[in-house]
Amino acid sequence: MIGLWRTWKALEAKGIMGINRRNADYVLKYNRRSLYPIVDDKIITKQRAIDAGIQVPELYGIIETEKQIERLHEIVGGRSDFVVKPAQGAGGDGILVIADRFEGRYKTVSGKLVSHDDIEHQISSILTGLYSLGGHRDRALIEYRVTPDPIFKSISYEGVPDIRIIVLMGYPVMAMLRLPTRQSHGKANLHQGAIGVGVDLASGLTLQGSWLNDKISKHPDTGNPVADVQLPDWAGFMHLAASCYELCGLGYIGVDMVLDQERGPLILELNARPGLNIQIANDCGLTLRTHAVEAHLGTLSQRGLTEDVPTRVAFAQGLFGRQA
Amino acid sequence: MRSLNFHLKVLITVLVSLGIFVTAYQIFVLNIPVKANETDNLWNIDAKVDFQAASSGPVKAQMFLPPLGQGFISLNESFISNNYGVNVNRVNANRVITWSARRASGSQTLYYRLVLSQRYGSQQDEENGPIYRESLPVEGAERIAAEALLAPIRQHSADVETFVSETIRRVNNKNDDNARLLLGGDPTAQRKAAAVELLLSMAHVPLERVHTLKLAETPQTPELWLRSYNGKRWLYFNPETGEQGLPRDRLLWWTGAEPLLKVDGGSRANVTFTIDRSEINAIRLAQIANQNASASFLEYSLYGLPLSTQQTYQIMIMIPIGVLIILILRNLGGLQTLGTFTPVLIALAFRETQLGFGIVLFTLITALGLSLRSYLEHLKLQMLPRLSVVLTFVVVLIAVISLFSHKLGLEQGLSVALFPMVILTMTIERLSITWEERGAGHAMKVAAGTLIAATLAHLVMNIAALTYFMFTFPATLLILVGFMLAMGRYRGYRLTELIRFKAFLKE
Repeated sequence: MIGLWRTWKALEAKGIMGINRRNADYVLKYNRRSLYPIVDDKIITKQRAIDAGIQVPELYGIIETEKQIERLHEIVGGRSDFVVKPAQGAGGDGILVIADRFEGRYKTVSGKLVSHDDIEHQISSILTGLYSLGGHRDRALIEYRVTPDPIFKSISYEGVPDIRIIVLMGYPVMAMLRLPTRQSHGKANLHQGAIGVGVDLASGLTLQGSWLNDKISKHPDTGNPVADVQLPDWAGFMHLAASCYELCGLGYIGVDMVLDQERGPLILELNARPGLNIQIANDCGLTLRTHAVEAHLGTLSQRGLTEDVPTRVAFAQGLFGRQA
Repeated sequence: MRSLNFHLKVLITVLVSLGIFVTAYQIFVLNIPVKANETDNLWNIDAKVDFQAASSGPVKAQMFLPPLGQGFISLNESFISNNYGVNVNRVNANRVITWSARRASGSQTLYYRLVLSQRYGSQQDEENGPIYRESLPVEGAERIAAEALLAPIRQHSADVETFVSETIRRVNNKNDDNARLLLGGDPTAQRKAAAVELLLSMAHVPLERVHTLKLAETPQTPELWLRSYNGKRWLYFNPETGEQGLPRDRLLWWTGAEPLLKVDGGSRANVTFTIDRSEINAIRLAQIANQNASASFLEYSLYGLPLSTQQTYQIMIMIPIGVLIILILRNLGGLQTLGTFTPVLIALAFRETQLGFGIVLFTLITALGLSLRSYLEHLKLQMLPRLSVVLTFVVVLIAVISLFSHKLGLEQGLSVALFPMVILTMTIERLSITWEERGAGHAMKVAAGTLIAATLAHLVMNIAALTYFMFTFPATLLILVGFMLAMGRYRGYRLTELIRFKAFLKE
């Protein structure tokens, strides 16, 4: 009992955020329920981003009804790689990544051959709501396949590593690089076994890693250390993440981004309830940082000021960067 | 945000204090028992009237009856009398029953029965009494003796109360010649009362005789007490001892100097009292009292509902308790369950299946349902048809289990009614969605968490004393709501998070 109390106190001193605090003080306070569809539906997110001039993977087409499945050929056209996604999917389920064509069939990233009918069946499943939260009818989107930057080759297994930045009222507070592993089947979701690696907000250098609830220092599949990797175009990521506040209006979000070989940082999706394991990856509590941002916002609102994206990024980097 | 917090605090304070106030009012003012098995004394007083009727003439017997109210609640009053007309009316402060018959002969027996209880008795406002009276006429030696007694009594008293008790004390003093003279060598309570009355009347202090019964299982005759009104309330005195204040176990039967029973057309009249005590369940007593009393404090409680509806509410009122348990397990403990209310519903289903059998049944059917689902996964069916297959399978499975257990003589198998079945299918559906979204390991964890939460909720919801308490004092729900509201802004860690974030403390 006393041990638990001591753990409690120690975690509190480190500013570790628990689920209750995240829900009560951040999600419920800053995220208006009516704005949730913007982040829950990837199609709306994407359209909003395109309108705001924010970089996202190019949308090839949307399929909304069984009848429209026939249009798949037309949407894909001559492209040899593309991604099929449910608009309201959760946890990366239902995503089909086609990497190539092979003698009239398609080839997935993992090398499995699928026929055109298989893809149509997958889209049909998406439409019936097999992958959507709560089993509602859903839409399928077909979009550009991101080719990960080769920088991640040494510390990633299959799939596409992504970068998650938690943004409070437009101020980035914490960042993490998520690396797929063999266990996570190439998916970048931490609870499925992907590795989370903390990222220094100021420099874009990776810190230590976390796997499930533990700290690790090497990628289990490639054996390479995950720390001290410089992420390219870090300023671009920070700018992208910070501008998502204007995009969706939600005050507390996790912005998931990828680094494409050719197009640079792209926004994949937004999350209105970002997980808490990012704290383990950064070995740092969120509460201290969010409190700092809230204090800053308080003084700004007293003077009746608001800050633009570059100022907000600079503020966050100055306060939360390792060098500072 | 701060104003919101303030708002919430005010709301919680109001709800909790309202809940505590109403419950305390029910317990301490209305005297509603806190426990279901609390019992109370029920007094059964029989007054048996015997007399010898004069040959074949009209007969009229008049007897005083106790006034109702005065700290007791009368649950039943009955008059047992063959061939007699019964009439109850008020004479001054007393109630009088008149039994009358045109013709009666031989030995006659009449009964009066009163059932009363001290619990729930409301202290009715007593009628005001006189505070002044004229002196009784007295002459000669007695007057001198009385005046001689009065002088020191006046000196030793301050108000009506002390005056009366001092008078009683003096009259009872066997060594006082004046007192002896007034009693005339007849030291009965009657005589003493008369002497006291005389003395007090000379001081213009009013006095009334009251006849009381002691609530005890002993044969007895009414005991004489004296009472005087001091302008605010009645003061009671024992004429033998000067003891002041009527004990709580004394029932006032009638006031005045007249005898208890008067019989016209009969002789050898006699009244015997028999008092029996029985115990009655306090809440049952409340229900009976409610029907008999004008103060219907149970009228607007759940006991006012028809009996079958009451039984439903006894279950329903425990649902918030179950929800509270789930809330604590989830938000404080960090246990993962399928949704918020599924465990409560499963706990309700356990009511019908019994706990042990229910757990086995749920585990079995859910496991079989899930394995069927994972088989259907290979067939690449769409969601709706696949769910329909699973549901049909569950129905078949339950039917088979019922059939087998019936053949084996286990009647519990039949307890799988419609309600648990709906919950079962719902559980399988939700579990399979969780399985799809978060993987098998997570689904297993959630299923186990749900079962643990449901078991705990079932155990707590089935505590009989708690059910009784919640049902009798539903205002407790307000306190629960207050706690739930407070939980709504709880930001502390969950118990499992202390383990989850342990990595931070390893240096």
